[in-house]
Amino acid sequence: MIKLKQITKSFGRQQVLKGIDLTVEKGEVVAILGPSGSGKTTLLRCINYLEKPSDGEISIDEFTVHCRKPNKKDIHTLRQKTAMVFQNYNLFRHKTALENVMEGLVIVKKLPKEEARNKSIELLEKVGLGNKLDSYPSQLSGGQQQRVGIARALALNPEVILFDEPTSALDPELVGEVLAVIRKIAKEGITMIIVTHEMGFAQDVANHVVFMDEGAIVEEGPPKVIFQSPKEERTKQFLARITPESAYSI
Amino acid sequence: MGAQFDIAYVYDYFLKLLPFIRISLVIVISSIFVGLGVGFLVALPRLYKISVLQRISQVYASFFRGTPILIQLFLIYYGLPEILKLVNVDVSKVPVLFFVILAYGLHAGAYISEGIRAAVTAVDRGQVEAAYAVGMTGFQAFTRIVFPQALAISIPILANLIIATLKDTSLAFTLGVMELTGKSQTLVTVSRHFVESYIALALVYFILSLILERLFNLAERRLLRHESLVSKKDKVPMGRKWLNRTLEAEIALSKGGSSL
Repeated sequence: MIKLKQITKSFGRQQVLKGIDLTVEKGEVVAILGPSGSGKTTLLRCINYLEKPSDGEISIDEFTVHCRKPNKKDIHTLRQKTAMVFQNYNLFRHKTALENVMEGLVIVKKLPKEEARNKSIELLEKVGLGNKLDSYPSQLSGGQQQRVGIARALALNPEVILFDEPTSALDPELVGEVLAVIRKIAKEGITMIIVTHEMGFAQDVANHVVFMDEGAIVEEGPPKVIFQSPKEERTKQFLARITPESAYSI
Repeated sequence: MGAQFDIAYVYDYFLKLLPFIRISLVIVISSIFVGLGVGFLVALPRLYKISVLQRISQVYASFFRGTPILIQLFLIYYGLPEILKLVNVDVSKVPVLFFVILAYGLHAGAYISEGIRAAVTAVDRGQVEAAYAVGMTGFQAFTRIVFPQALAISIPILANLIIATLKDTSLAFTLGVMELTGKSQTLVTVSRHFVESYIALALVYFILSLILERLFNLAERRLLRHESLVSKKDKVPMGRKWLNRTLEAEIALSKGGSSL
């Protein structure tokens, strides 16, 4: 279980997160929606300390990081319990698909090479890239690169995988293959937090939807409730603007 | 005036110069190693923005890039012993070669530090974040992810520098070092076939540079094999891909708000 308590974050004078409380149950898929600048990506990046929260608490099961005075070891532990899939894939460009997935296993988890290799091949086959093991990122399409990114995240056996707009840098025709992979692993009961603009996908895959605006959570609940009968005016406005008429009914 | 031109002397001198390639290369190789060490040390405070050290390394880099190598040679060979004398260190027994290597090393270090800095900032920040997200420590992220790519990016810069240093070693003769140029000066004292000796000398430098250039091309192709869009065995030149790469690097730079 992941628990965020009163997470705040300021860049200089501007407060981008204004005390976020969020609980994610084991095996839950949480979609975070909201207009750009609402702080959803910052929140996600705070969870694995790529962004340093100004204050608050992050807990994963029994392990807690106090953000006001974190120590290096805690941050390191937190990062090992989480994995991230980036908007721009961020694959290691000088390593093949296989090496990208193996890297964390060998260097961080200290698995023997052979074992890491087998596990990585298995994962790459799972995301449909069994035939691209020795390709470098520059030789792969965006969709393929992102699937390697997902395999790399899965390899670490994290408590939670954080997805930062995993499809927004992709050509429209490549979005499907990545969403299909995410959908597939969601079914396996891996805890996931996804920042996304794909409303249909969020509605379909998430068990819990969080709507954020101006650094705060405006409304959260099951997708059915949020998409079909949102309570807050701000949520209604956002959904009306972003979802085509036919896609939902009030 | 010199003696009448005689092509046979070119060949003769060329052969006589060959054994002295060794000393020139010793200067180049040692000073590049000194330069790599110094350059790396100097680049770190600027990469990690350590306030006072950052200033010092800036001053060092601008001094050695902003003054002629010949003056630097003189300053280090004649000036350094004087300064050391003030603190009662006698260096009069230290061989000239040591000063020469020190001067070229410091000179190269200034350029190398700039190169390292540019190359490290060119590896995009996202990959470092990915390395952290995977659970790597800062040190692991640097040695496993940033450094190998920075090295590949800096190969052309390093190649230029090494070839430039090779040519610059010709100035060491002013301190009486018997390297290629120094030797060529002594060859003509009797025969007075100046032009022939210069032709032979130019040929030696040119051939050496050519060999180095080839070696670096190979190294670059090997280290940047991941940037090729085609299969590994394919030997398409990487000019185009290289362009894309620098463009990407620039985008990453502006994104990171680097103080370049």
